[in-house]
Order: sequence, then structure tokens, then C-alpha cells
Amino acid sequence: MTPPRLPFSRQPLRHVQDRLATGLITAGGIGVLLAILAISVFLIWETLPLLAIGDTFSLAKLSPLAWGTLKAALAAMLFATPIALGAAMYSALFMSARLRSRLKPTLELMEAVPGVVIGFIAGLLLAPWVERHLASTLMMIIWLPLSAALAGYLWYRTAASVRQRLPLSWAGLWFVPWLAGMAVLAMWLAPIIEQHWLGGDLRRLLDQRYGLDYATRNALIVGIAMGFAVIPSIYSLAEDALADVPPTLMEGAQALGASRWQALWKVALPTAGPGVFSAVMIGAGRAVGETMIVLMASGNTALFSASPFEGLRSLSASIAIELPEASPGGMTYHLLILAALALFIFTFMVNTLAEIVRQHLRRRYQRLGSTL
Amino acid sequence: MKRYPIRRLKKHRRVLSITGWLMAGWLLMAGNLAWGQPASVSGTLGAVGSDTMAGLVLRWGEALKARFPDINLQFQASGSASAPTALVAGTTRLGPMSRPMTETERQQFIVRYGYPPLELRVARDALVVVVHRHNPIDTLTLQQVDAIFSTSLACGAPQAIRRWSTLTSTTDWPYGRIALHGRNLASGTHGLFQARALCDGGFRLDISEHPGSSAVVAAVGESFNAMGYAGYNHLTPMVRALRLVDEHGDAVAPDERSIQQGNYPLSRDLYLYVNLPPNESLPSVEQAFLALIFSEEGQQIVRAAGFVPLPKHLRDAQRQHP
Repeated sequence: MTPPRLPFSRQPLRHVQDRLATGLITAGGIGVLLAILAISVFLIWETLPLLAIGDTFSLAKLSPLAWGTLKAALAAMLFATPIALGAAMYSALFMSARLRSRLKPTLELMEAVPGVVIGFIAGLLLAPWVERHLASTLMMIIWLPLSAALAGYLWYRTAASVRQRLPLSWAGLWFVPWLAGMAVLAMWLAPIIEQHWLGGDLRRLLDQRYGLDYATRNALIVGIAMGFAVIPSIYSLAEDALADVPPTLMEGAQALGASRWQALWKVALPTAGPGVFSAVMIGAGRAVGETMIVLMASGNTALFSASPFEGLRSLSASIAIELPEASPGGMTYHLLILAALALFIFTFMVNTLAEIVRQHLRRRYQRLGSTL
Repeated sequence: MKRYPIRRLKKHRRVLSITGWLMAGWLLMAGNLAWGQPASVSGTLGAVGSDTMAGLVLRWGEALKARFPDINLQFQASGSASAPTALVAGTTRLGPMSRPMTETERQQFIVRYGYPPLELRVARDALVVVVHRHNPIDTLTLQQVDAIFSTSLACGAPQAIRRWSTLTSTTDWPYGRIALHGRNLASGTHGLFQARALCDGGFRLDISEHPGSSAVVAAVGESFNAMGYAGYNHLTPMVRALRLVDEHGDAVAPDERSIQQGNYPLSRDLYLYVNLPPNESLPSVEQAFLALIFSEEGQQIVRAAGFVPLPKHLRDAQRQHP
């Protein structure tokens, strides 16, 4: 039974505050929606002249940029997804709670590193270093994942006494020195391998035998730098999804005799799959929209090339470089606005998809929670 | 330095009376001869235009402010293209530009005011083609530059040059393709290089585009097989500027003398456009500013900002103008 409604002046202060807050929040939400709507209307309005001309010129100009955007995002996702998802699975299901409570906030803090700073480091330090040590870099990219598998195999084969000293739930700590050691080994071995098997200079070999051009700022650099920027968001969301799998499910699977590995693959991942998927989509959305890292690390060459050693030019970087000097109303201006519209639609779709999938997952968890 | 005696004289005007007035008048005249403006100047000095010249205009403004502390400086550096717009709109009387006005821009001004803007050349600059400092290559012809940077070969080169082996006799180093670096589409440097070095042809697509000349120079300095173009004032010890062959067949290095004389093929003028109605004179602040630019001190500032001072005859000819 609801109490009779009092006149406004007689209501307790708490109620007034509640209603005020609700009103403000609703107004804020509507305001944000209106702003997004206004942005899309503005972009469409400004591109109308181009669409009215209906020429293929703008399409020909934009397609290398769209390809560059996709190439950069793909490179970043190739670098970031395995690392971020691996880290999420490990920290959600295997890591000791104490280590996890410290590591997770630290990794999420990485998200706060501004794109400009990452781009600056990638363009001015990483790119020249990789150019000088190309063989070492490629060797590390191949060798480090293999050495991780090797570490797992060695750990499995060691005596139980050693295994207790190096428990799996603290692997996050003892695995780091191992990786560092392997990186040093790769650095030391790479020049020797280059000298004996690759004719002394890998870049010359690539050029002469395969006709591959190497640009200082290329998709490889962009992939590493932007992958670094995307890892925290993918990790954080995927970890949440995995950690929220109802513990009763995992316990049930293990009670029926499944190993932890089996429980992960057969129970946790299928259940949290949509959440992991939406984490990857959000990461992809960020990779597509990211501007400064691509701008500073990619060389901005509008090429149609699939080579990881050649540069690229993304939609967002083009807008950032050209818009300040494009005179309003000119051809370049309308082209850039069209680029902005394409970018807007793309990120909007990716993010919406990710959000819908996440809502689905939340409802599924609620159902699971109520039936068990 | 020039105004203190005047002030002191003014203070003791009653005592010095006629002598004071005479001396003050004489000093004013001397000031007029050296500077071309009354000795006490105040007001707001505004300019809108080139970002290449931003540092230069700011240095001139600061030198002027050091002399006349009552002056307010308002500079807006948003690219050469913004200068004609601001001049036509009347938001400024001074428009620094790193390229001459186009005919349409000039016409817009004339339509609005009925007279053309006053065009002053205030300094010289050049575009340089740079390579890594250890690169053995020394000289290029303009046709070679075109063959390296363009797809259109508008300057008459027989074929495009893509590899170092086509340019140098040393087969050992540098090798492979020439990695190209340049400026972004909207910059004046990009446009000028296109007009002067590529004979208005089209750039190659695989030129890395950087948002500033310093970034181009830094990128070339890091990479052994790179080549790029940049403004003369951005040269660093990391790179070497190539000599270019002029129309007489002589290889000209981009140094101060050859740029000043205009022998270096890619030298250019930096402009200042002034909204000056015929038969009128400028406000005293702007007069003082122009006088400073063409004075010895102003041209030293040009050198300090990394550009090249005007040759003396050009300077003297323009000093008469305002």
C-alpha cells in the first residue's frame, strides 16, 4: 500500500532530493543522446554536397584511408588479443587472489596512458630501434610465444618439490624473469643467425629476394604501439566477464572430474563467450578510432599494401593532419567530413554491437543465478 | 635608448625652453630618419597568417615591444591561407604569408576594398632536399628530384627513380629503395615543392607525410636510406642538404649567400601583406613594425629565426614604400 502523496511543500527533504537527482540524471542522459544525434546530423549535412555531386573521386580518395584504418586496427588486434585474452583467462581463473588484487588495477591504469605519449615513444624511439634491429624484433615476435609454451612444458616436467616453490597461481611473478631472459637470448642470437643464414642483413635480403620495402614507420610499429594501448580495455572487460561466471558452474564441473584446463575451455569460455567477444569488439572500436598513435607511428602514406613493413594512413589521422588547414566549404573539407562520417558510423556500429552482446550476457547470468 | 633623452628634456622643458624644443625636434627628426616613425608609439599590433613565419613575426613583435612597452601584440598563426581571409574580413591589417597571394585571393581583396593589398617581401627562405648525414650522395638535378618524388615526371625526366643504385655509383651503401619523407597536403611547403620541384606534377603515394618540417628532418636523420624535403630553417646536424643543379648547370648548395641571391633553385620569398589605402599612412604601431622589419636589426632577427635576410637592394627599395 503506497502512502498518500503529500503536497510538495510537505514532502520530506529526502524525497525532494531524490526526485531532483532523477530529473537531473534523465536530463543529462537525454542531453548526451541529443548531442550524438546532432553530431551525426551535422556530419550528414556537411557531406550532402559531395553526395549530390555523386562522383567516384571521393570514393577513390577515401578507400586507401579506409584500408589503412582497417590494416592498423587488424595489426593492433593481432598483437593485443592473444596477450589480453590470455592474461584475462589466467588472472580470472588461475591467479592467486592476492596477486590479482594488485595486478588488475595496475593493468587497468595502463589505459590512462595518453595516446600521444604512446605514439611519441613509438614514432621516435621504437620505430628507429626496430629499423636497426629488425632481425632481433622478428626473432622476439616468434620466439617469445614459443618460449612461453616451453616454460609450461618444463614446469609440467619438473619435480613436485620445485613445482611447489613455483606455484601456478603465482606464475605471474616468476614468469616475467623467464621472459626477460628469453628476450635477451633472442637479442643475442639474432645477429648471429642473421650473419650466418640471412646473408648478413635481413633488410637487404627482404629487398633483393622478396622485393619487400621496409619503411621506418609501418604497420608493424603501429600494431605494437596501438596493441599496447588496446590491451588494458580488452583485458579489463574480458576478465570481468570470466570472473563473473557463476562459481557454482566451475565447481560443478570440477566436482565431476574436469581438470582446471577442461573447466576453462568447456565451461567458463562458452559461458562468458559473448562477454569476451564484446571485449574484443570494444578493443577494435578503440583501435579504429585511435588517432595520435597512428598519426605519429604510421608514416601517413595512403597506400593499398598488405605488407606489414609498409606505411599506412588512417581516416582519423588524415582528419587530424588536414582539417586545420582545409578551408571550410572546399573540396578537401567535404572529403574530410565524409571520412569523419565513415569513422563515426564504424565505431558506433562496433560499440553498439558490443554493448548489445554484453546485455545479453548479463541477462544469461541472471537466469543462471536464479535457477541454481 | 632613443626615448630617454626626449623624456628628460620634456621634464625640464620649462628650464630648457627653446633649446629643449630645438633639441627635441632634432631628436625626433633623427628618430624619423632611422626608424621612420614618431618616437613614442602605443596601440595594438595584430597579424594573422602563416605558421611557418610565426616564430619570425613573434620575434619582430617582441623586439618592437622591447622598444615601445605600451604595445600590445596579437598574433594568430593558423596557416598562410588564413591571411587573405582575415585581411578581407578586416580583422587585421597585416597578413604574413609564406607564399604569394593567388589571383583569386587578390581579387577578393580588391572587390572588398577597391585597391590591391600592399605586398612586401620581408625575408628569404628555401626548401632543401635532405638525406642522412652519412649518405655519400652530394648533388641532384631538379629532374632527378622530380623523378624521385613524383609519378608524373612533369619536369621531363625519362623514368622514375626508385632505388639508390640508380643515383649513386657505390653499390655497397645506401641500397634498396629510397624511403621518401615529406609534408602533409595542406602545408605551404608541400604546395611549393609540388610547384617548383615537381613542375606541378603529382606526388608519389608512398611518401611518408609528416605534420611538420622538423618531423621530416628527424625521420630522415634516423634512417640510412631516406630522403626528404623540408624548410631551410629546420636543418639539423643529423641530415645533410643536397646541392641542386640550377639552370646554368652549376651545383648550388643551399647556404645563406645562394638563397639570398636567389641562385639556389628552390629559394622562396616570405611575404607580408598590408591593408593600406592609397594616399593614407598606417597607424604608428604598424609603421614602426614595418620600419623595424627593414632595419638592420630586423634582418638580424630574420637570421636568428633561421631564415635568410633580404639582399640589400630589395630591402632599400621596400623601405621607401610605407
